[in-house]
Order: sequence, then C-alpha cells, then structure tokens
Amino acid sequence: MARTRSATERALLFEGYEPLEGAFDEFVDAKGVPHPAVAAVVRRFDELGRAEFRRRKKLADTTFLRSGVTFSIYSGDTATERIFPFDLIPRVVSAREWERVRKGLEQRIRALNLFLADVYGDQRILKEGRIPRELVLGSKAYCKPVQGIRPPGGVYIHIAGVDLIRDASGAFVVLEDNVRTPSGVSYVLENRDMMKKLFPSVFRECPVAPVEMYPTKLREAMAAVAPQGGGERQRVLLTPGPYNSAYFEHSFLARRIGCELVQGGDLFVDGDRVYAKTTHGLRPVEVIYRRVDDGFLDPEVFRGDSLVGVPGLVRAYAAGNVALVNAIGNGVADDKGIYPYVPDMIDFYLGEKPILPQVPTYVCAREKDCAYVVDHLDELVVKAVNEAGGYGMLMGPTASRRERADFRERIRKDPRNYIAQPRVEFSGTPTWTRTGMQPRRVDLRPFVITGRHTWVLPGGLTRVALVKGSYVVNSSQGGGSKDTWVVGGAA
Amino acid sequence: MICRVAESCFWLARYVERVDTLARLLAVNNSFQLDVHMPQAEVWRPIVIVAGQEEDFLERIGAAAIDDGEAVQDYLTWDRSHPSSIHGCLRWARENARTIREVMSVEMWGAINDTWLWLTGRSARRLYQRERDAFYDHLSKQCMLFHGICYSTMLHEEPFVFMKLGRAVERVGQTARILDVKHHSLREEEREEEPADAAQWLATLRSCSGVDTFFQRGDNTLTGPAVAEFLLFDRTFPRAVLHNLDRARGLMARLVESDPPGLRRPSWQRLERLRGSLLQMDGGIVQDVGLHKVLTQVVDDTATLCEAIHADYLDPPVEDLLRDARIPHIVQRQSQSQASRKTA
Repeated sequence: MARTRSATERALLFEGYEPLEGAFDEFVDAKGVPHPAVAAVVRRFDELGRAEFRRRKKLADTTFLRSGVTFSIYSGDTATERIFPFDLIPRVVSAREWERVRKGLEQRIRALNLFLADVYGDQRILKEGRIPRELVLGSKAYCKPVQGIRPPGGVYIHIAGVDLIRDASGAFVVLEDNVRTPSGVSYVLENRDMMKKLFPSVFRECPVAPVEMYPTKLREAMAAVAPQGGGERQRVLLTPGPYNSAYFEHSFLARRIGCELVQGGDLFVDGDRVYAKTTHGLRPVEVIYRRVDDGFLDPEVFRGDSLVGVPGLVRAYAAGNVALVNAIGNGVADDKGIYPYVPDMIDFYLGEKPILPQVPTYVCAREKDCAYVVDHLDELVVKAVNEAGGYGMLMGPTASRRERADFRERIRKDPRNYIAQPRVEFSGTPTWTRTGMQPRRVDLRPFVITGRHTWVLPGGLTRVALVKGSYVVNSSQGGGSKDTWVVGGAA
Repeated sequence: MICRVAESCFWLARYVERVDTLARLLAVNNSFQLDVHMPQAEVWRPIVIVAGQEEDFLERIGAAAIDDGEAVQDYLTWDRSHPSSIHGCLRWARENARTIREVMSVEMWGAINDTWLWLTGRSARRLYQRERDAFYDHLSKQCMLFHGICYSTMLHEEPFVFMKLGRAVERVGQTARILDVKHHSLREEEREEEPADAAQWLATLRSCSGVDTFFQRGDNTLTGPAVAEFLLFDRTFPRAVLHNLDRARGLMARLVESDPPGLRRPSWQRLERLRGSLLQMDGGIVQDVGLHKVLTQVVDDTATLCEAIHADYLDPPVEDLLRDARIPHIVQRQSQSQASRKTA
C-alpha cells in the first residue's frame, strides 16, 4: 500500500469512488460505469489530477471571499460573512432528461398560476370541492387583503424555484414549490462564471447549456407586466436591506438586471402611485421585484411594525398602478399543506396528467392520514407547513424516541400545521471531501420565469448535503452548492 | 439616482478619506516625535482632539494615557467602539460600499474589501507591531489606489460626483483640523517661535503630503503664517481648503444642472458663502483674526454645508420632494429614518 506522495498527487480524482447504497447515483450506474452524459466530464476532471484540482479549489474559495459572494450568519449582534461552500465537481443532467423536467415545470407553474388567479378570483376550485375550502382559506399564507385584485397581466408567479430530487429509480420528483421570493439564482450565475474561469478546457469540449440569459429573461418579464409600459427607470428591486442574509443576491441581481436596488425607505406612495426618492425629485415606479416577504411589504395592511416596507403599497397595487414580482399572497400556492393537491390542480385547470411526479404526502388535517402519521413516525419525514429552510422538521428514521414523542404531541395539538412524507432516498453525486471523492446527496432548484411566456433556466441551483450521510441541503445547516450542467445539446 | 445610494457614495468617499488622513497623521506624528523635544502632551493629545475624540478617550481610556503615543495610536487605529478609528472608518467605508455594490465597479469593491480583509487579518497586526511606518503607508496607498480605481473604472456620472463631493468636503474639514493641531499643543501663554515650531509646521505639511509642493512655491519659508496661507488658500494644491471648495463648486454645479428648472438649493448657497468668505481673506487677515478662529469657522461652515447637502440630495424630507414635484397633496408622515451610518 506504500505509495509515494507524488503518485497520490497524480492520482485520478474519481479513483475509489463508492456510490451510496439504496440511492440513485448521478455519475455511475449500479456496475460502476459512468452514465453516458457524464463520462466525458468525468474524464476531463480525472485528467487534472488531485494536486491541480486542489489548487483550483483554493483559488475558487479565495475568489468568492474577495469578491464578496457571501451570505451572513447572525448570532447575537455580530454578523459573520461566510462563503456558501462550493463544490467544484459539477452536477450533470443529460439534455434528454432535462427536456422532460422543463416541460413538467412549465406545466406545474401554469397550473399554480391559474390556481392563484382562481383563489383570489372566483374560487371555482373551492366551489367544486376539488380542494377543501378551509385548507386554502385557513392557510396562514392566504392573504385576504388581495382577494379580488388581479395583478397586471394576470401573472402571479413571475419567478419560481421548484425543488426537485431524484428518487431511487433516478426519476426527478417535485419535493417543494417556492413561489414567494425564491432565492439562490445568483449562486447559479456566480458558480458558472467561476467554473468557466477554472476549467475553460472542460467547457470547450463538453456542450454545457448556458445560464447567462437569466437576467435578460427576468428583465423581459418585468417589462412585460409594467402597467403603463414604463422603461427600465421605472423598475426597481426592493430589498429588506444590507443586513438581510441574501443581500448579496439582491445587489447582484439588481446589477445584472440593470435596475435600481431600493429599500423600503427609498419608496413612497402618494395618490396610490409609487415613487422613488431620487436626488432630483420623485421618480414614478411601475414594477417592483420585491425580495421582502408579504408580511413586511406594507405596514398599513400587514405588520404595522415593519420598517422595511412601503406604507400604501397595497393601495397602489390594488389600483393597478404597480406590478409586484412576485404577487402578494402567492404563499397559498406553495403551502406544504396545499402541495398534495397540485396534481388535482393540473387536472382541474389544464386537463392534463402531471409530467413530474411528486412525493406521496400524508396531510395531517385529514383524520385518517393523521392517525397513520402518528403511528408511523419512525418511517416518515414530518414537516411543519409554515416553516422553511429545513426548520420545523422531524426526520423520523433518525430522530430520537423523545423527539418523536414531542412531534406526536405537536401533531395532535395542531394537525393542520403538519404533513408527512416517506423519506425519499434521494440521489448522491460525487463531491470532493477531505478524504477524496465521496457521494453526497443533492437536490435541484430550477428557476422558472414567467412574463409574456414561461421560460425555464437550464439547470438551476444544485444544493449538496456536505455532511456525510446527511439529507439536509440548506445552507444554514451545512449545505453547499454545485454548478449544474445540462449536457448534450437540444434533444 | 436614489437618495440613499447617493448618501452612501458620499460617505464611502468620506470614510476612505478619513482613513487616509488618520494614517498619514499618525505616521507623521510618530516620526516627528523622534528628534523633537517637546512634552509628550503636546505631541499626542492634539491628535485626539482634532479627531473629535478627546471626551471619549478621557472617559474610556483615561487621562493618564492621552500623552502616551502607543495608547493614542492604538486608540485611533484599532479601537472598535468608536467610528473615528482607522478600523471604524474602514469598516463603515466597506459597509457603505457593500450597500451600493450596484453602482460600483468590481475593481472598486475588490480594492476596499481587500484592504478590509488585510486590516482585520494577521499580517496587518504583524506589520503594525514591527514596522509602524510601513503599516500606515500601506493604508494610505490603499486609499489613494481606491480613488484612482474609482476614477478609472466607474461611470463618471452622479454616483461618481457624490463620491468626489464627499472627498472634497472631507478634505476641507480635515485640512482645517490638521492646521489646527498646533493650536491645541500651545500652552496658554503667548510664546516666541522655537526651533520645535519649525519641525511642527513641517509635520503639518507632511501630514497633508505637502512638503515638496509647499517649497515649490518659490517665495515660501517655513513659518506658521506661510504654511497656513498655503494650506488654506492655494488654488491647486490637492489638500488645500480653497482648492477643495473650488472642486466642490464644480461638482455641485453638475448636480444643479440636472435639477428641475427653478429649484433653489440651499446647499449651493452655503457653499458659495463659505467659498466667498475665503476668497475675500488673505494671510494678513488670518493673522489679525487669529488662525484658530478662522479654522473653527471653516470647520463649522463645512458641517453646515454637509447638513444642507443632506437635506437637498441625500435624505430630503418627503414634504420637500412633494412640494418640488408640485403635487398638491400634503403628506403628514415623516420619511423613515435612515440607518446610523451618518455619524459625522
């Protein structure tokens, strides 16, 4: 076994890679042979050797820190800036597989958009009993103040980030919809820039679908919904401010879209019209890409203590003078309690079968489901419907007896607040670790933009659970990211 | 542009300028004390006074330490609890920069972030302990580099104008304060000029990077009045008060050009008044009135000018904006208060 150091340094990156048991592996099949779409990519990286790969990895980390591609973690009154850990091994999806995902996402977002128009309009789907009325109107995310308001162009979901995983058979499955203020796209763009800088030769030889048109598509979508057709000077990105953990992304997107980045205090409503305070007076604003949550948008209507909102914004919105990207009240469509009904929506509004399957879900609001969940906590993943970021979750199979008992009690007290799903053995993909190449679980968040048309960014944000054996990919809990490559040209 | 963004541009430049000034002032004072035999109190206390931190220093660090060069340097370089140290100024410069990345070039952010990461890292501490001059010199150069990068990489539009304006008014105040250092080191009673005075005036010039330039004016000899006249009235020396008021005037003229016709800007009038008063003055008048009195007036008027710039451009009351837009609707509510980055 005695190998010289230099031999180790020259060693192939993928040597000794062992896929996870019981999960689909993104790189190799059961026999350890790379999937066809992946083979060329693996070879290119292998040729680099470990020493060279490590050198580039270090370069990537310092570049991210220096350029300020960071998010902030707060503890007490001190903020620490961290880089979102980035794994250099790309996650590869074949163009053929991607085509199906793309169609599935377009279909899903179309249905969700129609659902929102319906819920805040005639409520046909409730009248016909396809979804329990109290489930929708009783959701914390249902927003009464915008009932009856039709947003410009009828678009509610201008930007969606849909979380997908691959199940044990390798099929893409929808885990969660994000149609409020989904984040993460800046990492997709920054990661790609970085990869092109670090591995130009790999890009020359593998046909990777580009992602650079995202800002242009977003700009077009914003222009498409401007109530008076105003130009770019009438469009802004509204951020909660520099202390928000995603501020980097807000600033990055404002730069790439070419619109002004504003905070609540920079805007001002007069006569149901929104204005920006500029150095030469008030400037009208027609489209607001807002990264402020509903509850903080307008202290006149929602939380009165909000300092990041704009008093009167909802009035201006109701009067049709301003478009909000995304619309107010979208949370009722991505509520975890509504999720099980999305296939019904696709059927109800489109008369189609869902192209993308989703995870079977027990809705604790249903008595029968609740009884099952309470009895099978050791097999299930339980999620609180109003939590995100991996919080308010019980991983039944790995939880302690006490944690399970605690959740059993919580579910009994407030069944409407919980859903449960079998734990999906989602896929693993090669990831560079201190002990060489190891499989780590990944999910995928593609981004879908809707203005006049719907467009899906090829690839999306791959989040990876960097901790060995972990299922949690959230950046706040030890997750990292990878560049996602749709490879193989148009199928 | 958005008022808040203009405000951050203005303050970003001011904080960078403060880092530069402090670094130079501390470095010069450090070498100045080597061969000049003055009571320590006359060397270091004035620096704390012109930084506007005497009260805080006495309260937190103690009266015993104010004559101690190491304590004063430590306080004005590293202290985190006030925004007037190099650490504090650079931190706020970077915070402002971070807030307005969308109007900055990548290179500008790189320059300021690199300096911050350096200052808060280990190598800066090492350099500070081993080679104090090199430490301050590096900081000073980084500040100049930042201004140069701005000039070469960003659009010469309004954000740029507000940065340059911030730097110009900051220099007016800083030069006036540096010139006033000597006042604070004089004992109460009148006294004759001593050899130490020449060294002190030289230090004053050096703190403004103005030694060579001063002597390039052929008729200058190293006396208090000559130095004061140079630093106050020179029209082309980059840190002279009047030169910077000229620059501020040029920059504000550009802002006024973009205003709606007929709009009256109090900041413009403030600037004209301050500049006018200096234009009417000369070395003789300064001697008659007393340098300290003139400088105090300059510092106060600059502060008033900055307040007017704030009210006109950086944080105008909503009422004014509505009035200017001639919207006949009176709004009761005040605009939301801004973040604490305005600490003067």
